[in-house]
Amino acid sequence: MKAGADGGDAMVGVGLRSAHFSRLLARPRTPVRWFEAISENYMDSQGRPLEVLKAIRADYPVALHGVSLSIGGVEGPRPGYLERLKRLIAEIDPLVVSDHLCFTGAHASSVHDLLPLPYTEEAIRTVVANVSRVQDFLGRPIALENVSSYLTHKSSEMKEEEFLVAIARRAGCRILLDVNNVYVSAMNHGFKAEEYLDAIPNEFIAQLHLGGYSDMGTFLFDTHSRAPTDPVWELYRRVIRRVPRVPVLIEWDEAIPDWSGLEAEAVKAIRIAREAHAVAS
Amino acid sequence: MPSPLEALQKAFTASVIGDADPGFVAAVEGGGKLTSAEAVEVYRNAYPARMTEALGETFEACWRVLGDEDFLEACRVYARSTPSASYNLSDYGSSFPEYLKERFGGDAPFIGDLGRLEWEFKNIFHAEPHAGLAPPVLSAAVKGNSVLVFGAAAVLLSFDHKVHDLWKRDRDNSALLERADWEGAQHALLYKNEGSAVLSRVLSARDAAALNFLREGRPLGEALAAVEGLDEEAVHDLFSFIAAAGLVTEVR
Repeated sequence: MKAGADGGDAMVGVGLRSAHFSRLLARPRTPVRWFEAISENYMDSQGRPLEVLKAIRADYPVALHGVSLSIGGVEGPRPGYLERLKRLIAEIDPLVVSDHLCFTGAHASSVHDLLPLPYTEEAIRTVVANVSRVQDFLGRPIALENVSSYLTHKSSEMKEEEFLVAIARRAGCRILLDVNNVYVSAMNHGFKAEEYLDAIPNEFIAQLHLGGYSDMGTFLFDTHSRAPTDPVWELYRRVIRRVPRVPVLIEWDEAIPDWSGLEAEAVKAIRIAREAHAVAS
Repeated sequence: MPSPLEALQKAFTASVIGDADPGFVAAVEGGGKLTSAEAVEVYRNAYPARMTEALGETFEACWRVLGDEDFLEACRVYARSTPSASYNLSDYGSSFPEYLKERFGGDAPFIGDLGRLEWEFKNIFHAEPHAGLAPPVLSAAVKGNSVLVFGAAAVLLSFDHKVHDLWKRDRDNSALLERADWEGAQHALLYKNEGSAVLSRVLSARDAAALNFLREGRPLGEALAAVEGLDEEAVHDLFSFIAAAGLVTEVR
C-alpha cells in the first residue's frame, strides 16, 4: 500500500471493515493515512480478521476503538476484558486506544448499546475510578468518545460537555470528539453544537470522528449509514482549525459504500482540513 | 440499598431488554420530538435488531432454511428471553440451536443440528490455527503405542441428521428443503491447519469413532482396536487424511 498518497499533512483515516479487506490487501494507492479497528472484533479472534489487521498494520498506523468497555458501568470492566485488550494492544501497537463514555448494561446482561450516563458527580466518580483502573492496567492513556443520545436523565446536574471535560481532567484520559455525535445530540436535546465543541480544550482532543446520521422525522439517529452531512462538515471545519494535527476518522458501519465511496469522504475531510489550516495561518 | 447511579443503570438495562420500567421512563426526557416513553423505545427497539443481526451472521443457513419471517421472529423472542453475558456480540447465541430445535423441530427436525454446526464453525473460524506435523514427520514418529496430540483448531461433531450437505448448499429456501436428504446420522470434522480458512469433512461412523478415541488421548493401537470393522485400508485412509489435514501437532 502507498501510505499517505496525496493526503498531505492531514491525518485522515477510515474505519477498517471486512467489506474492504480484499481491496486493502491489494495495496491500493490511497490518501487514507490510518485505520481504526473495532477492538472486540479482534480481541477474541485468531482467524482471518486478525490476519488482515496485522497485514494492514504493517503498512499503516492503526487505532483500536472499543464498544464494550462500559467505562461508566457501576460494575467496572468485565473480568477478562482488559487482559484480552492488553494482549491485542501488544500485538498491534495502536496509535490510540479508545472507547465510549457510556455504559453497556450489566455483566450478566449486556445490551451491546452505548447507553448515556446521567451527568452527575456520582457518575464522574465512577468513570474516573474505572478509567484509572483501565489506564493503570494497560499502562497507557485511553480516549473516551462522546455518544449520541435520544434521551437525557432528569437527574443530570451539568451539561454533557462539562461532564466530559471533568472526566478527562480528573482521570487524566483524553477525548475522542465525535463531531457527528455532538450534532445529533445537539439537535435532539436543543443545545448549541458550537458551544459544546468550543468548551472542549484542545489538549484533551486525541482524535475526531465524522459519520452520518439518519433523520427519523422525530429525532436524529446515529446510524453511521451515510456520509457526514453539511452541518457536520461545518462543525468539523470549526474544530480542525484548532487541532490541525489530530487524527480524523470517517466512520461508516451500515450500508457501507465501496472503497472509492469511502475514500471520497476521506478526501473531503483532507480538503476541508487544508482549507481550515490555510485560513488559520 | 443501590446508589442512584446503580439503580438507574439497572432500570435502564431492564427497560431495554424487557418491558420499559415506568419509574425509569418518568426519570428521563425524550430527545427531539420524542416523549420519554418513545425515547426509551428507541433503545428498546434497537436491542432486538442488534441481537438479530448478530444471530443472522452466525446462523445463516438456519435463516435460509426457516425463511425471514420465522427466523427473525425467533431471533426477537430469543433476544428478549436470553440476555447476552459476553462483551463480544459474536459470542451471542450459544443456546440458539437448542431454542430453534424446540421451536421448529417438528417441521424441521434437523434445525438444532444445523444450528450447532454453524455455531461450531464460528468458533473454529476465530480459533488460532495450529502448525500440524508434516506427513513424513508424522509417519516417521508414529508407533503402535504412540499418543497423538491434536491441534486445537478442530472439532469433531456428531449429528442425528445429515446437516453438513445442507449447510454447504447456498440455495433458496424451498429448493434447499425439497432437495435436502437430511435423514440419518452424520459425523463431520471442522478444522483449519496453518491457514485461516475453515475446512470440513464428513466422516464415517467408524472413522469418527477412531478419531474420537485418538483425540481423547488413547494410544494408537488401543484406539484402533476399539473400533469394530476398521480394516487395514480404512486405517490407511484415515491416517492419510489426518496427516494431510495437519491435525496432529505432536506425537508422544
